Amino acid sequence: MTLEERRDDQPDVYQPAEDSQLLAEAACERLAGSETVLEVGTGSGYIAARIADETAARVVASDLNPHAVRQARTEGVETVRADLVSPFRDGAFDAVAFNPPYLPTDPENEWDDWMEHALSGGEDGRAVIDPFLESVGRVLAPDGVVYLLVSSLTGVDGVVEEAGDHGFSAVAVADESFPFETLTVLELLR
Amino acid sequence: MKESLLEILCCPLDKHDLELEDAEYDGEEVVGGDLVCTECGEAYPIEDGIPNLLPPDMREETPA
Repeated sequence: MTLEERRDDQPDVYQPAEDSQLLAEAACERLAGSETVLEVGTGSGYIAARIADETAARVVASDLNPHAVRQARTEGVETVRADLVSPFRDGAFDAVAFNPPYLPTDPENEWDDWMEHALSGGEDGRAVIDPFLESVGRVLAPDGVVYLLVSSLTGVDGVVEEAGDHGFSAVAVADESFPFETLTVLELLR
Repeated sequence: MKESLLEILCCPLDKHDLELEDAEYDGEEVVGGDLVCTECGEAYPIEDGIPNLLPPDMREETPA
């Protein structure tokens, strides 16, 4: 099945795109392989499945969207329906990957379906990223690492500053430019 | 889900341990039952093998 056909087939679930590929590649390259890894907001399950296929890591994927967790499970990924990291134990993960909804969206134009939840980051693009940065530290092991995809449309510097407020130092480990945005994968460490 | 998933899950409300109750199995896979918080007693359903660990007020199928 082509990517386009999958998109038409699963209108309620965000299907893999350039941002998914960039994050999957960056995470796979940098994981040693013995880790326990969480992918938050897995959507189709593409990133989690690639990490599971290309490394020896144990991968768990979560999403708010019931259609997404069902699709991700068919990819062979162990899935949990969850709000960000709320049902995971303290220190449970060596790595957490997240391709968040990041598009800044005028509240007048929000369209209120599952695809909006997958794409819209609210007025400033950070409606989901900021609560994630506030809560992710709890579920990370002491030397745990976060791989977070950020777009220039959201503003990388602001996200780096917010991460710093929660005790993380950020390094850009991958980026790719497109006509309307530059995508960056941040590696966050404490 | 596999039973070993319980090692990394907790109650989303109070972060206490969860216990598997009324489990239905398909081989090693837990396909139905409830995950019940040992502290507050809230039950989280396992639907088609996927635990729904959303807080009760977020559980509905419709977005927002």
